[in-house]
Amino acid sequence: MVTRLAPEARTLIATAEQEARSTRSPYVEAEHLLLAMSSAPVTDAGQVLASVGLTRDAVEHALDQEFAASLAAAGVSVAGDGPAPAAGVGSARRLRLGASFKAALERSVVAASGSRQIRPTHLLLGVLGAQVGTVPRALQLAGVDQAELATLTRESLAG
Amino acid sequence: MAALEIDPTAGPADGLAAVVALRRLADLMEDAEVEHAMRAGWGWPQVAEALGVTRQAVHKKHAPRLIAAGVDLRRR
Repeated sequence: MVTRLAPEARTLIATAEQEARSTRSPYVEAEHLLLAMSSAPVTDAGQVLASVGLTRDAVEHALDQEFAASLAAAGVSVAGDGPAPAAGVGSARRLRLGASFKAALERSVVAASGSRQIRPTHLLLGVLGAQVGTVPRALQLAGVDQAELATLTRESLAG
Repeated sequence: MAALEIDPTAGPADGLAAVVALRRLADLMEDAEVEHAMRAGWGWPQVAEALGVTRQAVHKKHAPRLIAAGVDLRRR
């Protein structure tokens, strides 16, 4: 039973928390992990994402699009960039982990079974295992085939 | 039960994602509007009443951030 996080994976999770904080989310969610991976092109996970065009900017844009599209589904549109960004970074205490993050982490553990450590690529597989939610929607809006991306990720593990 | 084929960008998925997005929008608006009110000299009791929550709740949620941002929160 592996539950040991590789140092790079640990760093990604810490970065994901910062991403959540800077987008003023009360929870760390799977999309924050995806943002963190896309900002770390040196990791295997970052390279796989970049290979399908998912750079940091592309992921950010896709998430913005997803937010706007989901609001639009409720007949709501936000003028300009939405509410003025509020000041302050909030308290320094740790953010809680959201359900989508926990689910991704659980899938990562499964993906890493048989390996010594949970690596960034395993985390990416965990994120890509989601069937619904913000990440699948953002990927589809970005024109990325999620299943194909998961296959590429698995191949990068094998290679 | 056979696995249901779900399109993440249609039907119920759209409606549920709208709920998530509206919550996020409400959170972002709350941050911005509470700050707006406090900068305009409102006190916690007024902000709390306007939001329909307790003073303790609004203070706990927003005071640390506003203090960190240097918003002048005189005794009020």
